[in-house]
Amino acid sequence: MIMNLDEELNLLPHLGVRWWVLLLLGTALTLAFALSLTFGSVRIPPQQVFHILLGGEGEKASWSDILFKFRLPKAMTAMLAGAALSAAGLQMQTLFRNPLADPFVLGVSSGASLGVSVVILGMGTGGALGFISGMNALGDLTVAAAASAGAGLVLGMVLMLSRRVQNTLTLLVMGLMFGYLASAVVSLLIYISRPEQVQVFSLWAAGSFGGVTWSQLRVFGPITALGLLMALGMIKPLNALLLGDDYARSLGLNVRRARFWIILSASLLAGASTAFCGPIWFIGVAVPHVARSLFNTADHRVLLPTSILLGAALALIADVIAQLPGSQRVLPLNVVMSLFGVPVILWVIVRQQQLRQSFAG
Amino acid sequence: MLRGLSLLIVILSLTLAACSPAATPTPTVPSPTAAPTVTATVAPTSTPAPAAPEHNLTEGCVPEGQYDPSIDYFPEKVTLTHAENLTVEYHNHYKVVTIAIPWPGAAESLTYVLVQCGTPRPEGFREEQIIDVPIDSLITMSTTYLPFLDAFGVLDRLVGLDDATFVHNPTVLQMAAEGKLATIGYGAGVNVEQVLELAPDIVMTYGSGMLEYDAHPVLLQAGQKVVINAEWLDTTPLGRAEWGKFIALFFNEEVEAEALFNQTLKRYEELKALTANISGRPTVFSGLPYQGTWYVPGGRSFAATFFRDAGAEYLWSDDDSTGSVPLSFEAVFERAREADFWLNLGFVSTLEAMKESDVRYADFKAFQTGNVWNYDARMSPNGGNDYFESAVAYPEVVLADLIKIFHPDLLPDHELVYYRQVK
Repeated sequence: MIMNLDEELNLLPHLGVRWWVLLLLGTALTLAFALSLTFGSVRIPPQQVFHILLGGEGEKASWSDILFKFRLPKAMTAMLAGAALSAAGLQMQTLFRNPLADPFVLGVSSGASLGVSVVILGMGTGGALGFISGMNALGDLTVAAAASAGAGLVLGMVLMLSRRVQNTLTLLVMGLMFGYLASAVVSLLIYISRPEQVQVFSLWAAGSFGGVTWSQLRVFGPITALGLLMALGMIKPLNALLLGDDYARSLGLNVRRARFWIILSASLLAGASTAFCGPIWFIGVAVPHVARSLFNTADHRVLLPTSILLGAALALIADVIAQLPGSQRVLPLNVVMSLFGVPVILWVIVRQQQLRQSFAG
Repeated sequence: MLRGLSLLIVILSLTLAACSPAATPTPTVPSPTAAPTVTATVAPTSTPAPAAPEHNLTEGCVPEGQYDPSIDYFPEKVTLTHAENLTVEYHNHYKVVTIAIPWPGAAESLTYVLVQCGTPRPEGFREEQIIDVPIDSLITMSTTYLPFLDAFGVLDRLVGLDDATFVHNPTVLQMAAEGKLATIGYGAGVNVEQVLELAPDIVMTYGSGMLEYDAHPVLLQAGQKVVINAEWLDTTPLGRAEWGKFIALFFNEEVEAEALFNQTLKRYEELKALTANISGRPTVFSGLPYQGTWYVPGGRSFAATFFRDAGAEYLWSDDDSTGSVPLSFEAVFERAREADFWLNLGFVSTLEAMKESDVRYADFKAFQTGNVWNYDARMSPNGGNDYFESAVAYPEVVLADLIKIFHPDLLPDHELVYYRQVK
């Protein structure tokens, strides 16, 4: 599965993963993690956070519960989702050699939306008064299961196609088509639903890291870890694919097989994170570009670990902002994400020169 | 002179009432001041004058040629005291109803002109605002209107509704089973052709504020008379219940509506008085989080009013919003962990199932002490919850339930109607 192309073909630029890069990113991630544990709606002094994390008793009994049962799973979820989406985004951008590809380009998120919309919009709320209660109608697990089923459905179809289709671009178009199909069904469901159901659905679509509990993490964590491991295993094929399918083939890469594993990995990552957190935009597009710009390289040995760490850190910070520390209210995560994402995309467009280099190979 | 004329009419109608063999008592005797404008120009003495009606015409029209502008065709009127958002102005042969805020974020108020049928239409209004009353047929798009139709005895005029699946009212379910009710669907996907085929006098619906998802723009476009009912925007239980009078206006059933509301008001105030000076108000919070965000009813919301009136201390009573506030789960956890009661959870079955869906629920004191109460005691087999249906018309029953929950010894004989303890 993993080609040993490096030595034979001298494909890779000289930049490898330097220890200081990892150290720097690791420090940034640790800082972001600490921020995420320290800041939230409830004010807990940092020294208390530290004290409680080390096993001490908090000044208030609720604080240790808040730390261990709320902030810790939320921070873990943010890290996992950020890492997953960034890695998946990077893989898709390379596979399709398209700087704007995102983890959802093959329709995984549309599939997940379809699953969730069937559940939310299919349920009755009983008149305008049901407005609030509708939101409580579903356990978060039901939503996650529905999203997984929808994402899995699209993923299965794309994977089946990926074994047959020769051209990667054909696959991209087909993925887009699946996405449109799923979106059309979602639109239809929205069209025939009550406005308050639509509102509940749009809440899901706003994205959140806060709905994941430890028991859900037991599912989300391993799937994401598996997806990330698969991605790390695909570093060399990814580097080869950057040069184009034909060239990669001429280097001895089994393009179809590599493609299959890349898609499986990226879709698992994107599907799991969508299932548990809702569709989270921008991070998957933006982080790989930031990684490329930071280290001025197209080498996935650098880009992939960087994207994973950077994505995790950015997701944590976005979540801290969404929690509006000091206030009790929360902002929709995707709003904050876009505030992050848009400047980054613009920055990337401005630096297109370098972008062209990365994708021209 | 006008004042004198209306006095004359009043005296005349009173005399008539007194003389008729089976004189029914009229709860709302029209007084000269209750009629804001009397636009009579012709004295009714020159020709054989049509007699002024002693009751509102709850069926049929003023016969042709019998219209007399000096006659007050609505001797029975409603008085609005609690609905914040609603005003009605009576004229001799028409009533002008205004909803100040028809849907959240509405820029303008909405006015309907309810004209006694068989009388001329007043000038200066748009066609879609004018509705001939009493109406003979209607379609409803929220189950909350059904208890009022039932109470006023006009359910037989219902020809269709959005969806019968989640209805609780047994009569309506029976009508639906007999195929007497068409279903037209929800929101912007409403079945316009079906509505046009039924040609109801009005479709009563609500606006969510998201116009692209609402039914009324689509129906108005098709030329259907649409009536927006904004009962759900009222922030007090009594205010919402008073919207029954709004529905009654379309049937000229003012007497029934006044009687229903006065009964509700009296009982509600009695119950509220029970807890007015009570010491030891238990703390209460409500709802469930969704994706980590907990939509908590604001301190001046409908739910908060109920809790306060039932003698409980709502944990977010310091908040000044009327809708719900998105809070983080941890913020709610911090404040509500030690609260005595947890109410209004939505769709839950058992404590065990709650714990399974999120183990953190079990950390709340109310969960541990078993003081978790939900409003789903009356569910139809299909899942229609009567709390979202008839409770709008009978807030005094909800209040009694809540008092029974918070202070069982105040109402020892009351049996819970809408609420159930989650076990």
